[in-house]
Amino acid sequence: MNVTYPHMGYLTIPVYNMLSNLGIKVIEAPPITKRTVELGSLYSPESVCLPYKITMGNFIESIEKGADTLLTVCGSGKCRLGFYNTVQKIALAEKKPLQLHTINISENVLVNLYRLLRTLAPNASRVSIAQNIAMTLKTLKALDKINDAKNHYGALTEDADMIINTYHRGMQQLGNCHTFREINETCQHIIGDMDTATTVLAPPPVKIGLIGEFYLLLEPYVNHQLEDSLIKQGVEVKKFVYTGDWAYSQAILHTLGLYNEETSYLKEARPYLNYHVGGDGLKSVGNALWCAKNQFDGIIHIYPFSCMPEVVAQYALKNIARDYNIPILSLSIDEHASDVGITTRIEAFVDCLKRK
Amino acid sequence: MPINIGIPRALLYHEFGSLWTAFFSKLGVPFTLSAETNTQILDHGTMLAIDESCLPLKIYLGHIASLLPKCTHIFAPRIAGYHNNFFLCAKFAGLPDIIRNTFSLADNQLIAPNIENKSQSTQLKAIYSICQTIGISKISGCLAYHQAKQTWKNHNSAPTHSNTQIAIIGHSYLLNDAFFCRDILTVLKKRNLTMITSEHIPSKVLYQQAAIFRPDIYWQLSAKLAGATRYFSQLSEIKGIIMVSSFGCGPDSLMNEYLEHHVLKNSNTPYLIINLDEHTGSAGIVTRVEAFLDLMNWRSES
Repeated sequence: MNVTYPHMGYLTIPVYNMLSNLGIKVIEAPPITKRTVELGSLYSPESVCLPYKITMGNFIESIEKGADTLLTVCGSGKCRLGFYNTVQKIALAEKKPLQLHTINISENVLVNLYRLLRTLAPNASRVSIAQNIAMTLKTLKALDKINDAKNHYGALTEDADMIINTYHRGMQQLGNCHTFREINETCQHIIGDMDTATTVLAPPPVKIGLIGEFYLLLEPYVNHQLEDSLIKQGVEVKKFVYTGDWAYSQAILHTLGLYNEETSYLKEARPYLNYHVGGDGLKSVGNALWCAKNQFDGIIHIYPFSCMPEVVAQYALKNIARDYNIPILSLSIDEHASDVGITTRIEAFVDCLKRK
Repeated sequence: MPINIGIPRALLYHEFGSLWTAFFSKLGVPFTLSAETNTQILDHGTMLAIDESCLPLKIYLGHIASLLPKCTHIFAPRIAGYHNNFFLCAKFAGLPDIIRNTFSLADNQLIAPNIENKSQSTQLKAIYSICQTIGISKISGCLAYHQAKQTWKNHNSAPTHSNTQIAIIGHSYLLNDAFFCRDILTVLKKRNLTMITSEHIPSKVLYQQAAIFRPDIYWQLSAKLAGATRYFSQLSEIKGIIMVSSFGCGPDSLMNEYLEHHVLKNSNTPYLIINLDEHTGSAGIVTRVEAFLDLMNWRSES
């Protein structure tokens, strides 16, 4: 049994560790490249959204490397994500016999994950499964922290590349940690390094809020290194979506009934959006409104072309932009989007904001 | 200005229209239905909508724009699901918000009851909110709703098919809108082919047929399409199936692939999938339907 899963930002670092610690043989998909996108699009329905195509490409490339057991997520709702696995299975099964396991993320993530790991690693003890899940969550939270630190210091310093390099080194080091204590120490160490490397301490001139669809915000290849290119231009970036934060609130707080994403964002999005519209639509509007009320200079809204919830959100966003007089750049990404096209638009947007 | 409620003849009107009109006429509240879709409505809607919206939503906005000068209120319920375990897609869940954000309406100008599920309390709440907005007694509202629902249920079951040859499958708001399917129907008529659409089959039959796809499918309207596809592919008198979907339809982009694999490829019936968009050149569609019919005939002759 060779297990694989699609890429999504740094989520794969602790997931790889978790699975291999439990004695599961993992064949990780090669990093996303142009080939991944092309392969994925070839085997996908034409008008489906981008995350479908890229995860499809990941699966195909891992199958080429010998994977035969695929892990993915599903969740019923109004958005297409819940239907991904059912349709992806059709095209993938034509290649070779495969097993597809899905984790339902709309309820009881923790329980679903635990059950899945029990079936994948029948010999691992219950305690070690629980330990590994806890380590995964802890690592993800630490990765969130250094990501945040990178955006903070990167925008302040003149040499953002150095901060970004430190960040990449930090990700590797966190992937090699084995205890909570090690994680805490590494995390502090990395942030300390970034702090000492930061030369200029004038506040960045421009503050931008980053909103949109989950996958596109979290996978740097797909969003064309949006965060890095912003901080290189000295822009302070405010993110609302973090992998670890999401996993933690979804796995623990939601399961315990302490936190409900829908209800908390309903309040923030009013009066522009009054109901849940599936996916991250409500969240995008809530976050945009928050940015508008907190004197941000601009908002970048990034989503896959034809994403159903984000298109509904667009209707609200254009009014927020008008009512609060805040510029919003909408980036609708599909498999044909080119690095140059996106970069040019971001640079032009930042230039406009700086001049304003 | 006396009350006049505008009902756009688009989207879910084609599912629930007779219920809504019966309800308002039982209440004695005057209402205006928008005209059948025409190029002007399409153009206006396309201009108002966000580019990436699906075609039916663009048309819906066009219908509302045509109603606004004539009506005091617009009736646009938010229906997120009315069948157990099924959802409607994101645009239906956000429909009143889309309207509020597109047109500058006064708060009480939009009658948008919220139907989150099929429960009695949801329906009652919806009736209450309608009555409150137009200032009518809630008891007469409930009575009118009850009566309207009875007539709707009776009206809704009349299966008729004999000797049909072509089945057309698509969302009700595409098939019942003459603007979308005109070209396809003209070709079929020219060839003297009789046809049946998924709209002619009672919903109950469709849901029963779609039961084997559970729990895969969670969109309610898609489940109906899946049921219709399965139903028609089993009928021997159906010689061909035409699936109609619209550009930008999220559920259809995956459903068509799913149905092709699980139903259509396993059956012997030839099928054609047509994608409609707002560029209304009829030649393209006519050619494709004609080619499909030709192939279908050759196949049955050989």
